[in-house]
Amino acid sequence: MSDNAYIPKLSKIIEIKEEAGGGRPIKTFRTQFVDDNGFTHKCGQCAMLSVFGKGESMISISSTPIVKDYLQFSILKTGRVTTALHEMQEGDVIGVRGPYGNNFPIEKWKGKNLIFIGGGIGLAPIWSVLQTALRKKSDYGKLSLIYGARTSPDIIYKEELEELKKEMTVHLSIDHEEEGWKEYVGFVPLNVLDKKPSPKNAVAITCGPPIMIKFVIQNLEALGFKDEQIYTTVENKMKCGIGKCGRCNIGMHYVCKDGPVYSWAELKKLPQEY
Amino acid sequence: MVNLDDIKKEAHRILKEKKVKYIIGYTQGANGFPAVPVFIKNPEDADNLVWNPACIHNLTRFLRDEKKRRAREKHPDNRPVGIIVKGCDSRAINVLLQEKYIAREDVFVLGVSCEDTGVVDEKKLAKKLKGKKALCFDWDENRNLVVTTEDGKSTINADEVLAERCLECPAQSPVVYDILFGDKVKLSPEDRFKSVEKIENLSQKERWAFWKEQFDKCIRCYACRSVCPMCYCDECVVDTISFAVTADTTAEEKAQKIKWIDKSPVTSETYIYHMIRAIHLAGRCIDCGECERVCPLDIPIRFLNKKLEKEAKKLFDYEVGFDPDQLSLVSSFRDEDPEDFIR
Amino acid sequence: MQKILTKKSFPKWVANLATYQIYAPVEKDDLWSYEIVTADEITTDYPNTVLSPKKITFPQREFFLEFSQNDDGIPGVTELLPEEKESVIFGVRPCDAKGVSHMDKVFGGDFEDAYYWKRRNQVTLVGLSCNTPPSPNCFCTSVDGSPHSTDGLDVLLTDIGDRFFVQTFTKKGDRIINASKGLFTAPKPKDKTDVEKVHKDAVKAMPRSLKDTKKIPPKLKDLFEANLWDEEAMSCIQCGICTYLCPTCHCFDINDEITSHSPLEGKRVRTWDNCQFPDFTMHSSGHNPRPDKASRLRQRIMHKFQYFVEKYKNFQCIGCGRCISKCPVGIDIIQVLEKVRDHV
Repeated sequence: MSDNAYIPKLSKIIEIKEEAGGGRPIKTFRTQFVDDNGFTHKCGQCAMLSVFGKGESMISISSTPIVKDYLQFSILKTGRVTTALHEMQEGDVIGVRGPYGNNFPIEKWKGKNLIFIGGGIGLAPIWSVLQTALRKKSDYGKLSLIYGARTSPDIIYKEELEELKKEMTVHLSIDHEEEGWKEYVGFVPLNVLDKKPSPKNAVAITCGPPIMIKFVIQNLEALGFKDEQIYTTVENKMKCGIGKCGRCNIGMHYVCKDGPVYSWAELKKLPQEY
Repeated sequence: MVNLDDIKKEAHRILKEKKVKYIIGYTQGANGFPAVPVFIKNPEDADNLVWNPACIHNLTRFLRDEKKRRAREKHPDNRPVGIIVKGCDSRAINVLLQEKYIAREDVFVLGVSCEDTGVVDEKKLAKKLKGKKALCFDWDENRNLVVTTEDGKSTINADEVLAERCLECPAQSPVVYDILFGDKVKLSPEDRFKSVEKIENLSQKERWAFWKEQFDKCIRCYACRSVCPMCYCDECVVDTISFAVTADTTAEEKAQKIKWIDKSPVTSETYIYHMIRAIHLAGRCIDCGECERVCPLDIPIRFLNKKLEKEAKKLFDYEVGFDPDQLSLVSSFRDEDPEDFIR
Repeated sequence: MQKILTKKSFPKWVANLATYQIYAPVEKDDLWSYEIVTADEITTDYPNTVLSPKKITFPQREFFLEFSQNDDGIPGVTELLPEEKESVIFGVRPCDAKGVSHMDKVFGGDFEDAYYWKRRNQVTLVGLSCNTPPSPNCFCTSVDGSPHSTDGLDVLLTDIGDRFFVQTFTKKGDRIINASKGLFTAPKPKDKTDVEKVHKDAVKAMPRSLKDTKKIPPKLKDLFEANLWDEEAMSCIQCGICTYLCPTCHCFDINDEITSHSPLEGKRVRTWDNCQFPDFTMHSSGHNPRPDKASRLRQRIMHKFQYFVEKYKNFQCIGCGRCISKCPVGIDIIQVLEKVRDHV
């Protein structure tokens, strides 16, 4: 049974935190495997979360692999499975199988400046890299984060971001004016142009809604970033998670297996069908 | 007699005068298929049109795609679409008009009469030819199909190769058209619903067993649903997600969409799918027979729709597809409707 | 090994395989399909079946696991691996066998699909060389196949009149021959010349062909954004016939089917799925990377003739022609590919 990739391992939800409410609710779940035979992951990998009776959903693991006590998933409520997850309580047990996909090549980034650019829930898939870099600060150059959401309630990891400001450069933004908001107002790609991160010895890691990624990449190129310096993580509808059911492909790549992490240089070469 | 050159000339004219966006018609297929659907945009290509007993497809099915195309385009071209229809197909146009799915000015109808014959059932013909390939075939004046195979010519009586629907057809020439080719004909078949009798005469137990055997063959390819002009719902009972989803649809709405029918091709799910589809087409199906023609496992689903068509006529004196202004069968009520079934 | 088996001895051979479940093409109401048969139902004269033998190792529906939820909170999860008898499938066309070999590539690799292999390892494939084309739309020789290809087969029989020329390629194949050693004799030189002639004639009789297929994968890559796909997909009605009938299509869906709500009980089920269905790639948000039938048709063609080639150096299409024969609107994959190949 342990080598059947389709069988989920039971995992208990040990903590649930509400990140954003309103029309686009986001909750962060921390899970712990019920038996000891869980798995460890690399930055950028995902896991299939099972709600028995409803289905499965592929979610990025947003905790750093350095933390072994739990796996963290930040989940936007959007359909059948995610609604069921949002209705769960601490102590409930779900299925988790993985880790799936490739990972951010953080070994290659040693000594470089890391610029994280996220939008909305898109901060979660790159959070694992950020948390890893923070804990190994001496391995990397300057760390900075440019992150925005539609409105201030939609910003995730609010408390963590406050703490983050003490350790690295953090630029936040929201799309439209709000009373009391003192930071940038405008879309994330425009904030990127505003803050002008330098491409010198840098790697940009970005994730967010597809339209945001598109413009962020455009603006990074305008700032002088080369294709190999820009990394992103893509998503697609997934069912098997192991490159067999045929639905998540972009060209000959299965996003669940050959992705989801791509440099812009690699992603450019694939058919633009995502 | 239907003159193909007249059809080509008219097609050429309306394309040249830019009266229509394109014409949906029939042309010769690859590898000798005598007729397949074609979309003609250039007047010169009007010469590729064909008209022969293999023109069995109901082209009104493609009006759905046109409507979707317009909905997607920012500045849609609202000129009508030219379409070649037979008698049965034209009834589908009336149903789409009745349901306000399309407007009359959305189509320019080139009606072609089947006169006293109709279209050929490929499987019946193949059986008659015993494996020989039909290179070409056409009707002669005596209601015979003249077939050329590699062995030469032979004639087959129409009644032996006509599609089942043609043997019970109440509309041999189109009932709605902008221009008509061939003679207007209205022969009333002796018994329009004769074919369902052989199943009606089975006991309930036999009927259940018959349909179970048929439905167990079903691979749920949904070709029957895909080819039907009237199956245009964005939110179909058999789909697990609704295509009417927008950015504003809430997670709850999506989560609460009931999975009425599982994807599994098991007896219960398949039975229910076909039954519900038949009921959803009651009073709307014009018996073009396409659903049965396209089924790769030869499931005789036309019987289900034909039976409901018979019920509609018997109980409510309801005819489908002749009057674009009539009320729909299932959403209207008349004082004289029989109430036996509601107590 | 190479052997001769007389047609008279054939039923005896099959009878000796009584411990195996025997599949062969049988006819019902004018349609042929692979079903479990008795020895006397096996024939060597049949056209192509509607569904290929893919459905035996990769059935349209199978269970993954069983789940239940009690009040104590921890769900019970039980793996449901298929229990299948050892089987022999007779009369596998070489193209369909190549299809099985392609499926093996997909379901193997980094993650072995436990359910597929549980069935696959139990199956011995006995092919029948196509002396005459089983379909008017066969084109296996254009996609690196042949009427006597051995790819994917354990045994290949070639009909040479009153006897079969028997070739084995695997241990599984040897095993079912050795079980009836006495029935098989050594081939004579005439047998070999007869086989060669039959094979050669079969290749010549191929009804359709697609020339210069080597040009197609790179051309497809270039034509990804072309208008060609809109035109070719105009008459597509988005049914699932081409993909469900295809011996190499492997897309599937996984769904939970509940048999009891409280307490929760049900099974996780795998069913075939179809890239031509509009909801195949539709995200929960409504975003669809393949929003129209042109992009879906393109996906099918690219998968068969470019993505699979890039990955496995083999055309995924095996040239059986089922999609051409059964397409309700006459879309012909050969015609589409010719347009791709010759596109300027």
